Amino acid sequence: MARALPPSAALLAALAAAGAAAQPVDYALDPTHSFVHFEVLHFDTATIRGRFGPLEGQVTLDRAARRGRVQVVVDTAAVSTGLPVLDARLRRDDLLASTAHPQAFFVAERFEFAPDGGVAAVTGEFTLRGTGRALRLQAQRFRCYTHPLLRREVCGGDFDGELLRSDFGLSFGLPFVADVVRLRVQVEAVRRDAADARP
Amino acid sequence: MNTRTLLAAAALAATAAGAQAQSATYAIDPTHTFATFEISHFGASTNRGRFDKKTGTVQLDKAGKSGKVEITLETGSINSGTAAFDKHLTSKDFFNSAEFPTAKFVGDKFVFNGDKVAEVSGQLTLLGKTNPVTLKATNFACYDSPMLKREVCGGDFEATVVRSQYGMTWGLNYGFSDAVKVVIQVEAVKQ
Repeated sequence: MARALPPSAALLAALAAAGAAAQPVDYALDPTHSFVHFEVLHFDTATIRGRFGPLEGQVTLDRAARRGRVQVVVDTAAVSTGLPVLDARLRRDDLLASTAHPQAFFVAERFEFAPDGGVAAVTGEFTLRGTGRALRLQAQRFRCYTHPLLRREVCGGDFDGELLRSDFGLSFGLPFVADVVRLRVQVEAVRRDAADARP
Repeated sequence: MNTRTLLAAAALAATAAGAQAQSATYAIDPTHTFATFEISHFGASTNRGRFDKKTGTVQLDKAGKSGKVEITLETGSINSGTAAFDKHLTSKDFFNSAEFPTAKFVGDKFVFNGDKVAEVSGQLTLLGKTNPVTLKATNFACYDSPMLKREVCGGDFEATVVRSQYGMTWGLNYGFSDAVKVVIQVEAVKQ
């Protein structure tokens, strides 16, 4: 059995650990694993799905202090449903209005943490078509791991949220295509090390 | 055989024929029919990909509560949003699209809940191997399309495919999941 550290050393070690853990850590979104998928019901029958991304963005996490910040930029013209005709329709003025509003944004600073220290939910402002609204994204799963190829910490998960598209002025096709849009966000972010320039 | 029995048999046959006559053929609407797979990435997030090219038909007998569906997916049309991932998925490590350009589902066991399709069981052929798969409906409805002026039936279905059953084993030793969830949107237009 290892000999216990003298009390002063143990205290120093604990302080050092707390200090290290309280450091905010910066992460950059991994474009190969960061997408927003949306789901909207068609004629109350079957679900239309589409994808935005790869997402660009940064995350700062301070898991000890239970704080965080995320900012994500979504290129609205990059919508992909598998149907070029539908993608073009979605970009028009009565839906995404991609010419006037080429980007959507999500900025969140309200982080909820699970008992295990993982991110449980983030709440912030989602700006689409120039209109900002509160949006809460709830984690379906969240995990940090050491990526075997990158040899860096990667944190990520799946986050679900819901919005009314009419709140943002995306009115075409109501009510045959539902107003409620379910967002399924895949996100993974790679820890930046000291050598990386801060954004 | 007495007259009464004969009459009953004739009535039964007529009913069966009547039900049969209500069986209708529906053509898959490729603009509202997609299969998307979901697989865990290192237990953190979910990778998704969809097959953009598919064809198929559905026979549906709502009165007789039976049906048959055939859907063919072009495995080379997989689309994940990441070109490098698509290339890996169509390679020999996964779908081997050069050698096996299509995957096919034939479902002929329909379970109804009232007048709605609740479940479709059948056989999935992938990489030259065939195994049973069950699709469970999370939505189902029929409606008259104002654009097409025809009846459209469709729904959302979910299935779990165990990829090692088809010999698709890449990444199992790194901990990537063997069970893959597939979510399916399908709409079909009455012919």
